Order: sequence, then structure tokens, then C-alpha cells
Amino acid sequence: MKVDMAMMDAVAAWHMAGDSILIEQMPIFGGYVGTVEEAAICDVATTIASFALFNADVHLGGPIHVRWGTTTNRESLQIAAHTARALDTNTDLLLGNQYYVMSGPCTQMNLLETAAQAIVDTASGRELLSGVASAKGVQKDKVTAMESRMMGEASMAACGMDISDANEIVNNILKRYEPLYSNPPAGKTFQQCYDIENIAPTQEYLRIYDRALNTLSNCGIDF
Amino acid sequence: MTARRYVDVFESYNRFMEGNKVSEKEWDYDIIPTIASKMKKRYELDFGSTIIPEDQDLVDRLFVAGVDMLITAGIYNINTGTSMPITEDEVYEGLKMAPKKLNLGKGKDSVECSPRRGNSINKPIIEGGPTGAPVSEDIYAIVIESYAQEPVVDTIVSGVLESVKGHPAVKNTPWEIRATLAELNYVHNALYEAGRPGMAI
Repeated sequence: MKVDMAMMDAVAAWHMAGDSILIEQMPIFGGYVGTVEEAAICDVATTIASFALFNADVHLGGPIHVRWGTTTNRESLQIAAHTARALDTNTDLLLGNQYYVMSGPCTQMNLLETAAQAIVDTASGRELLSGVASAKGVQKDKVTAMESRMMGEASMAACGMDISDANEIVNNILKRYEPLYSNPPAGKTFQQCYDIENIAPTQEYLRIYDRALNTLSNCGIDF
Repeated sequence: MTARRYVDVFESYNRFMEGNKVSEKEWDYDIIPTIASKMKKRYELDFGSTIIPEDQDLVDRLFVAGVDMLITAGIYNINTGTSMPITEDEVYEGLKMAPKKLNLGKGKDSVECSPRRGNSINKPIIEGGPTGAPVSEDIYAIVIESYAQEPVVDTIVSGVLESVKGHPAVKNTPWEIRATLAELNYVHNALYEAGRPGMAI
């Protein structure tokens, strides 16, 4: 519910240049507003403000949990889904969401977190998925394209799915990674996950990816 | 009352300059929590344990609560120390200005972003990339190329170039500007190397 002049100056320049403008805003759950409902109310209000006051063409959200610092936890998923459904069923606004996952690359937890959010975002009607910032997006080189592959493939698998089925699957996936919050796997850097010369994922990562697909199948979704 | 016209970034600036003076602390700790709590009660919002809502009446009430939140509180500008007002009619007039679809990228690498309206069988745009996470300069272009070569990825979201020419890309310094331009250069080159030069960034 706040802006600064630097943001407004940038928007003014892009607007007058005829550029497409994507406004990013990530509401914090557990901070100034303490419940998921209040966070979603502020999320809806700020998303609308991006279009109605600041000339946005696309809005990029990403509710962040004040304790976990991720978008893949249960409360953040719930806020994002309710906000998206409220806006999707009442407007034609173009809505995106960002991915900040707790664990690092080359771990099954990372891929399960990513898949859970992709299913939620897709089933709740979002138009754009943007990710993935692994290890909460704060550790140098702890990102790889395999996480984006999972985001895209999970989204495609969820397209057209009945919402109650999606809820059941997401609950099954959450149960697999929530117990790991106290000690999430750190994962590896891009240099450790990829053959740099050929720009290809390592055999180790491909095996972990396949294992994650099996786990997701057991949770009720097949790619 | 019917809106005179939609509000844009310039009119928003004018309203901030004439807006109500409020301290940021009061905005954060009093105004927003109080109004949000009031809206939750007024529109009887309770999500329960459901992650993706299946109750259309609930999401309709959430939408109206969000509009009410915006017109009751307004938006705060931390530089002017003021909040700007907006009316309900201006909100709906502004929403009419929002695009119904967007073309992202150029040529055969471009994709169309259009409303999916529920969980359509049409997939969302997949924007792959480090999403603002810090990436070393020596592997930056390779990292971006690895995303661009993924068939499922439609557009690119870049990461933060940690340094440029060995200098930290410190905020509000000339190195920040140089790092931004270097970042764009690396991304464009990476898209070319991946054979998808027209992908949107």
C-alpha cells in the first residue's frame, strides 16, 4: 500500500515511451497485517492500484511469509490463490506471481515447493509465472533452469484441472516439504549443477528431477 | 459520482502533493492494520483451510473488500509523506484502461499474454530466470542461456549481476548503472546464443 518517487519516475518514463509496464509488489504476511484474509485484502487493493493509478500492464505478486521468507509456504499459497481468484473472476487484469523457495537447487524439496506453487498459480487463473529464486533468492549462484523447467511442466500438468483436485494434490505435496522447514537442504550452486561447457544439467540433478516426478505422481499429478 | 477521467501516474503525483500528511509509522502500524481488520469483518472473510478458493461468493466479497480498502485508505508515498485519495468510480475507470492482452517479445519468439479466465487449458506464460537472485559475472550469460534453451520457458526474468568488471554493483552509484547495462548486454547475447533472440526480457 506504499510507493516511492523513484518508482513513479520510472513508470512515467516507460508510460510515455509506450513500453509494457510490469509492476511488482510482494505483500508480507505476518507483519503489519496478521491474518491471511487481511493480507489478501491488501494484495487485492494494491494490485488494483497498480493498474488504476500507476499504468501497469501486468502485475507481478508474491506474498512473502515474514518468518519463512518464501512464497511456497501454505499461508502464502492461500493468499496468492484467493487474491488471484478474486481478481481473475471479476476483471480481465493480467496477473503474475513470483517464486521464492526455501531450499537450494538440486534437491527434491526445491522441486516440490516449485511444483506446489505452479499448480496453485495455474489453477487460480494467473497468466504469468516468474521464477525460480531458489534458496530464498539471497545466495549467490544458487539458481538453475531446472527449477524453471519444473515450474513450467507442473503448470502445464495443472491446466484445466478441477480446483478441488488441485487443492488435494497441493495439500499432498505440502505435507512432503513442510516437515523440512527447520532444516531445509542447502542445495548446490549453478556451477555444481550444470556442465558449464555444454550448458547441460548434471546426471545427479536429472536423477533428482526424476525422483521428484515420481513423488509428484504419488501426490496425484503426472506430467 | 461518475469519474471525470481515469487516474494515471501524473495525476497520482498531483494528488500526493496535495494529499493528507501522515507519518510512515502511523500508516504502517495504525491505518493499514486497522482498515484491513475492519474490511475483514465487514465482508465476513474467513478462508478456513482451503488453499485455492472454491466458493465464488467468498472471492467476490474479497474483491469488493480490496476495492473498499483502496478507496478507504488510499495509497501512501514515502517521499512526500502523504496519502492520495481515489474514488470507487475512478478505480473502475482505471481498470478499463488496463490491457486485455499483451504481446511479449519479437518475431517467432514472441508470446501473447491474455486473460485465462479461470483454470483454462491454455498454459500461463512461463518466465524463467534467477528472479532477482545474485549471479556471478563470470557465469551470468551462461546461466541466462540455460533458461532460454528450456522449451517450456517463454520469456526471461534476469538475476542481479553481483559485480561488473570486478566492482560491486552498489545501489545509487555509477557502478549500479553500468551493471544494469552490462546485465542487458549479457541477457541479449545469451538469447542470441540460445537461438531465441526475440524472447521478451
